[in-house]
Amino acid sequence: MHDLIIGMAGSGGDGIVSAGESLLSAFAQEGYFAILTKSFGSQIRGGESSCRLRVSTAPVLNPGGVLDVAVALNWEDFLRFGGGLPVNENTVVIYERKTGVEPAAIPLAGVKPAIVLSVPIEELAMKSAGILQAKNNVVLGLLTEWLGLPRESILGGIRKKFSKKGEAVLQGNERAFAAGVDYAKENPLGRDLSMDRPRSPDNDRVITDGNEMCARAALFAGCKFFGGYPITPATEIMEYLQREIWSYGGSLLQAEDEIAGIAAAVGASFAGKKAMTATSGPGFSLKTEVLGLASAAELPLVCVNVQRGGPSTGMPTKHEQADLFAAAFSAHGDTLRPILAPINAVDAFGLTVEAFNIAEQYQTPVIVLSDQEIAQGKVIVEPIDPARFNIVNRLEPTRTELGNYQRFGLTDSGISPISHPGMRGGNYLAAGIEHDERGAPTASGEMHARMNDKRLKKLDPLKQRRDLFVIEGDPDAAVGLISWGSVAGIAQEALRTARAEGLGVKLLIPKLIYPVAEEIYAEFLASVRYGLVVEQSHQGQLHRIIRMWVNVPREFRSIAKSGANLISPQEIVGLIRLLAQPAADAPLSHYCDLLNII
Amino acid sequence: MTSHDSVKNCAVKFTAYTAKDYKSELKPIWCPGCGDYSVAAALYRALAAIGRPPHEIALISGIGCSSRLPGYTTAYGFNSLHGRALPIAQGVKMASPELLVIVAGGDGDGFSIGGGHVPHAIRRNPDLTYLVMDNQVYGLTKGQVSPTSPRGTQSHASTFGSIEEPVNPLLYALAYGANFVAQAVPADLEGMTKIIEEAIRYPGFAFVNIQSPCVTFGDPENQAKVQKARMRNLQTEGHDVTNHLRAMELAEEYGTTLYTGIFYRNPQPPPTYGGQIVDRQQMLKAKTPIEALA
Repeated sequence: MHDLIIGMAGSGGDGIVSAGESLLSAFAQEGYFAILTKSFGSQIRGGESSCRLRVSTAPVLNPGGVLDVAVALNWEDFLRFGGGLPVNENTVVIYERKTGVEPAAIPLAGVKPAIVLSVPIEELAMKSAGILQAKNNVVLGLLTEWLGLPRESILGGIRKKFSKKGEAVLQGNERAFAAGVDYAKENPLGRDLSMDRPRSPDNDRVITDGNEMCARAALFAGCKFFGGYPITPATEIMEYLQREIWSYGGSLLQAEDEIAGIAAAVGASFAGKKAMTATSGPGFSLKTEVLGLASAAELPLVCVNVQRGGPSTGMPTKHEQADLFAAAFSAHGDTLRPILAPINAVDAFGLTVEAFNIAEQYQTPVIVLSDQEIAQGKVIVEPIDPARFNIVNRLEPTRTELGNYQRFGLTDSGISPISHPGMRGGNYLAAGIEHDERGAPTASGEMHARMNDKRLKKLDPLKQRRDLFVIEGDPDAAVGLISWGSVAGIAQEALRTARAEGLGVKLLIPKLIYPVAEEIYAEFLASVRYGLVVEQSHQGQLHRIIRMWVNVPREFRSIAKSGANLISPQEIVGLIRLLAQPAADAPLSHYCDLLNII
Repeated sequence: MTSHDSVKNCAVKFTAYTAKDYKSELKPIWCPGCGDYSVAAALYRALAAIGRPPHEIALISGIGCSSRLPGYTTAYGFNSLHGRALPIAQGVKMASPELLVIVAGGDGDGFSIGGGHVPHAIRRNPDLTYLVMDNQVYGLTKGQVSPTSPRGTQSHASTFGSIEEPVNPLLYALAYGANFVAQAVPADLEGMTKIIEEAIRYPGFAFVNIQSPCVTFGDPENQAKVQKARMRNLQTEGHDVTNHLRAMELAEEYGTTLYTGIFYRNPQPPPTYGGQIVDRQQMLKAKTPIEALA
């Protein structure tokens, strides 16, 4: 196998997630690529937990669809994760014998997997280690043998984890692992699931996630201030920065609320420093008035919104892409805030750097729309090459300009040099109130129109940023996919699978979501008869926004699912197969109905 | 105080500045006779006495009549959002600890819409001076009850009289732990100038409640002339400014007795937020941006 998806579920304390992490670190050491996504019940401690691990010899585009291997420590917990752990007849199912369920009677509605193994996991743990907590290491032993994983890497991980817990605990867990291996040796799977060796074994791989990449990018870009408030699933950005930012000459405020967090960041930006805030949906709603202030006062600011399921409290630990309308439109007055959306953790680094660059260059707030999956899914990636990035700083007034300083001067580009307190001669009044070129409050309709024009016009060049769009596939294809954020990796896999079958299809991934780059979409859609936006929101928010600005083909719709519902590459490939055939001439809805696609 | 606390506490004058060096050319929108004119005048004088050049001063305000103040100075100003002056000012001060940062606003801005920020600003103890122009009414929106309006106040928004107790800004600030708490009135320009100057020089969060009457929508019985007759100076009356409990007792009389002067001044200023940040930055090993990838 060169690509394998494992899903495991159990109760809190079974250590299922920890087993997934052990596998991830062993795969990283061996030079594989992988994505690990974890899912928990809503309890703070205990309750059910699950993880999905997709491992591959090539970079992994997404967490994937149907499981190749499913591990259930008990069926109740496994079934609770339903759609997150999909199983079909090809899935190898391994489960705890103690559940008392016969292999022929496992509770998977409508699915009859060919290989179902009941394993006395708890019994093996008790016999070898004498403790229930060693069950996860029995599972690791089973998987190591059945998947042909390098024993030493996994054992190394176990030793590292238990080295501080005393010799007895460590040895018990090592014995549990060995018991799993031995059991698997005596009971062959009946199918070869052993992983191919990685193409270019490279020990330089790192394990990271989108939140960490976002925080590191901020420091790399020169961020000197972070103001925020704890909120799932964005908190790790603040947690990372509070350990590090001081060493970079910066500071951080865990504020009394979301508003104070962003307000302090705006203050820091006014003081001349690069500043950031990060939040998720509910916090973003609270921050919107201050975002408007940053637009009006033309202050650079990066605001990360790690999307989760909404509206309101919604589903804090689940992935969704439904904050796009909020990001684009939750502002009063004629404002426009650039929105960047990374497609994976590595991209979260690059686009956070880019967000700082755009914010500083254009003196505007920039929103980074990350999402729970990118933010918290652990991935194995290659190290980032810093030489790929430029750092942009804000345009400061020259000595001559300071002689007769106009903070909001109506320049051709709309960008006027920005001073900061401490700069002699640059003194001005920053304000949310409408102002003239010097910053004095005004109620003149004419000046208001000119300032609106300045603030909007300066962002026009962004629409030409082709480097913020990925286009892949056959340029003349009649089937065109558009996808964004973490879901883009699913569309990408679907595209590659379909093209490998010889089907004509192409894909556009906008990373600059807003302003809408009309020309780039129009060019892409010129050959397209069937246009499909693949996204994780009930309303199909990107699809709607594109429609506002672009003349789209008549057959243009979204495959949109509410958050926490897996969009699988296979279902998109199925649709492409129907649409790319020469005889296809029915409306899109016809084909979607055939496949039961929303 | 930490070793990094602001130089503004230094009694040495940097350059010779006069009050008019801090006054901008913008004509205030305030009504003739508004108490805020005197606050501006007192601030210009206090700043001249301290002598920091205008470009090293940041004056942050929210929204309201009094929040127009930054525009009437030559300092860097930020007329921001209703209620958000304090967090913005903290961001300014954290990002550039060398600046002299003053926050100004009204009672609605500070104790209603922005009320949640006050205790947190105070407990962090940033080196900020917070001037609240407490006129007990919403003036810019033309006369609604504010958080400090006395019970029974009739207004455009309380035709039958307000049925809420007012907040007590002085008692709040003291209870939240502010180390410098004072009150001033425009009727005593000289006294107000001294208080503002001392508040600015105090290393840490300093709160000054200024009972600045609204000539248009305020209580006709509480204008400058009446204030002048009623005010009682705490220093003249021999109040011990280091006595926190006594300060709270006196503050209880907000709304009945018009005390001016300093209620409380902690003689041993605790470490400021900014000073502790610089300590931490210097304690940790400095890193360059490229190390963010390590």
